[in-house]
Amino acid sequence: MLRYVLRRLAWAVPTLLFITFLVYIALRTGTDPVASYKRVNARATPAKIQQYIDANGLDPNYVRGYFRWLGNFLTFDWPRSIKGSREVWPALKDALANTIRLGIAASAVGIVVGLMLGVFAALRPGGRRDVAVNTAAFVGISVPPYVSAILFQLLFAVYWSRWFGSTLFPTAGVYPPGHTGFDLALMAKHMVLPTFVVAIQIIAVYSRYMRSSLLDVLSSEYMRTARSKGISERRVLFKHGLRNALIPVVTIAALDVGAIVGGLIITENIFSYPGMGMYFLAAFGDGDFPLLMPWMVIIVFSTLMFNLLADISYAWLDPRIRLE
Amino acid sequence: MKKHSKATRLAASLFAVALIASACGGDDEAATDDTTALEEEPAAEPVSYPTLAECADVTYDYTYTPPASAGMTVTYDLNPDAVWEDGSPITAADFKATWEAALNTPGSISTVGYDQITSVEAGSSDKQVVVEFKSVYGPYKGLFGGLLKAASVKNTSDISADFADFIGFSGRPWVMKSWSPSQVVYVPNKNYWGDDKAASEELVIVPMADDDTQVASIKAGEVDFVYPQFYGGIEEAYADPNITLQKEFGGDYEGFYFQQKCGPFANPIFRAAFSKSIDRDALFQQIYVPLGGESPLQCGPIVPGPYCNGDEFANSYDPAGAEALLTENGWTKGADGYWLDPATGEAPDIRWIINTGNTRRENTQAYLIPLLNAAGFKVRADNCDAACYFQQRLPALDYDMAMYISTAPPDPGYLTPSFTCDQIPTAANNNQGQNSQGWCNAEASDLLHNADFEADATKRAELVKSALKLMAADSVMLPLFQFPKAGFWRTDQVGGPVGAELRNYTSFINNHLWTDLNGDGKVVLGAEQWPACLNPVTECANSSWMVWTTINQVMPGAFATTNDGAYVITNLLTGEPTVTIK
Repeated sequence: MLRYVLRRLAWAVPTLLFITFLVYIALRTGTDPVASYKRVNARATPAKIQQYIDANGLDPNYVRGYFRWLGNFLTFDWPRSIKGSREVWPALKDALANTIRLGIAASAVGIVVGLMLGVFAALRPGGRRDVAVNTAAFVGISVPPYVSAILFQLLFAVYWSRWFGSTLFPTAGVYPPGHTGFDLALMAKHMVLPTFVVAIQIIAVYSRYMRSSLLDVLSSEYMRTARSKGISERRVLFKHGLRNALIPVVTIAALDVGAIVGGLIITENIFSYPGMGMYFLAAFGDGDFPLLMPWMVIIVFSTLMFNLLADISYAWLDPRIRLE
Repeated sequence: MKKHSKATRLAASLFAVALIASACGGDDEAATDDTTALEEEPAAEPVSYPTLAECADVTYDYTYTPPASAGMTVTYDLNPDAVWEDGSPITAADFKATWEAALNTPGSISTVGYDQITSVEAGSSDKQVVVEFKSVYGPYKGLFGGLLKAASVKNTSDISADFADFIGFSGRPWVMKSWSPSQVVYVPNKNYWGDDKAASEELVIVPMADDDTQVASIKAGEVDFVYPQFYGGIEEAYADPNITLQKEFGGDYEGFYFQQKCGPFANPIFRAAFSKSIDRDALFQQIYVPLGGESPLQCGPIVPGPYCNGDEFANSYDPAGAEALLTENGWTKGADGYWLDPATGEAPDIRWIINTGNTRRENTQAYLIPLLNAAGFKVRADNCDAACYFQQRLPALDYDMAMYISTAPPDPGYLTPSFTCDQIPTAANNNQGQNSQGWCNAEASDLLHNADFEADATKRAELVKSALKLMAADSVMLPLFQFPKAGFWRTDQVGGPVGAELRNYTSFINNHLWTDLNGDGKVVLGAEQWPACLNPVTECANSSWMVWTTINQVMPGAFATTNDGAYVITNLLTGEPTVTIK
């Protein structure tokens, strides 16, 4: 297993380089970084423009330009944003931390509750609780986040403050206005509504995955064999059924969580939550190459790592799979 | 490559104006006579105008020669008590640093006016500032509106890398405590010398992602004040027993603009006919009456006041005149009903741009495009999001017709960079300039430039009015509506003169006088847009919200604008500056 992980990690390096090279080309051809710079800094002198080109590796030769950019990136000599010449890392770091916090919280709530509901439904297929879970799941999948977000804001903030004098959960931000420093309780309170908006969709989707996967497993031959050996139904379910049903679900979960790092654009926007989604929107709107490239690298890196995690989980859950 | 000379354009414009005048003016008999006379003229050869593909090659040979003048001196006497947040005095050195930074910093957005200054020196003491101008400069009150602290910058020739995310100095009642993409926090400036000291312990401004968030935040009591862009139904959206609304008319106006550097509207005949085919009164009834509008704006790119008679852009709707104008100039209608350009034999494709998601503008397109199509104009919506619209396509003149809101400052000096020939982005000037209509009328450019060099307010107003008339005659734009400015605030959470400065160009600048009523020690403002950076002279400052939320809070100025659209001296000065014309 360790050798497999090390080999995958070693392979991840050229993969990461190759994908970032493609991203570099896509951004250069799709957004024209020099034109974006000139647009935002309409009165920049030729010397300033050349300085920007050099700092960002915008060489006419894409390969040479990419390696120049890579050199600056790896030595942490990151060029500044095109708008206002701001350092990139502080903003990216904060956005990443905010999104990871929100993503982990929403995924944890969503996946755990979703899996439990899926199991709950699958144990009595066609029964009342199965119908109830399925109906709720369809509603959850059908309600887009911008609708649930506004409904939550109205219920727990606007009307709550009207009924009880103050809001139950805040509608925007990571902390209350004016707050500085770290405060876990306040942060958690501000994360409640965005977390549940994201979690609703995850719960709905994962309850469907789990139900379907578990029904497949429960009707398989090895489950009948286990039952015929006289193993208790509880043990059959938890030791054999759930473990096998989780295999495809875990794979999807790993990939989904990896994708969340890219930001929850709609939810972050509605709750004025300064995460990776809002970071991307602002950077893309300006065509800000120095902001966009590190964002892309993080997304690619995250996707690769969570893919690896999915493979490892797969092997761990399914003893038939041996990673060589 | 020059595509059309100034003389050709002027002749074509005058010809168009003459035709318009003949169609509109006088009694029927006179009009008939004029038309007959025109019909007897031999048919003119169709004139070619620059196409979109040729846009980058268009140049203008306009050069403005300022009136001969020995110059002007403005002497400011500074308040002896005026100090920065650290107690150091505000002096002539700060004026000099501001001038140098605005003039020399690469990417400075506002060199107009500062480029007329030859020196800024201390007078009898460092509390007296003597500013020498090359020649008379009328809008001098608009200069030094936000002073830099000289000690806060190392190199006044280039401050583009300074103030990326924090402005540490202050000469106003607030001083910045912190700034981040999530909020900006101000606390009282303990060394502020004025009587108008901050009335609350903290001012916090937070970004609001969209109007829904804004509505929810103020209704939930999380913010005390918001200043959203006005829209139909806004009063109902914000209705709450604890929220009050104040709606006023300030310098915001919406209009149609026609890009004429290249493309279909480079042809003045076609542009005039198109402009005459828009029934602004009917459009106003459809779109703006529901917002509380009474009649279309008639001043052009300026709001009613001393620089406009109020009838410069009177309704020019005249479909018969438009048809006659085009027919007289060889235009015919094709099988699909669209006017065909005699020079190309094709119907000009008119791209009308707005920002997607703006319901009012989308409704305007939905209403007007079928009417214009029926009138023979091949107009189509060519929209994109706000960032693409305002930051890319408008500055690049990549549109034919646009609809947007501008905010006019009290002084008409802003018309010069927006409407003069030398401010059209071209290859010759490295595509710099803010004339995003591409309108070049040498006479109007001279008038606007001359207005900047005129110290007499009455004469200056006449120059501006004359330029507006030329603008209307050339169909540069069609003004629509003086847009309301609306402030909403929680009456249970914030008190004081909250509504006193809402139509001021420097909106809600008096927030230091607002009081905290709910005992949380702070006043919280919601900002509809959030600045990406805080540099006060580069493109960062090219945003009203950036200026309102940062520059106005900490940077003192010689003059301030009032709610009534006038310039008045601030407490930084002991009296009106002395102006000496040499």
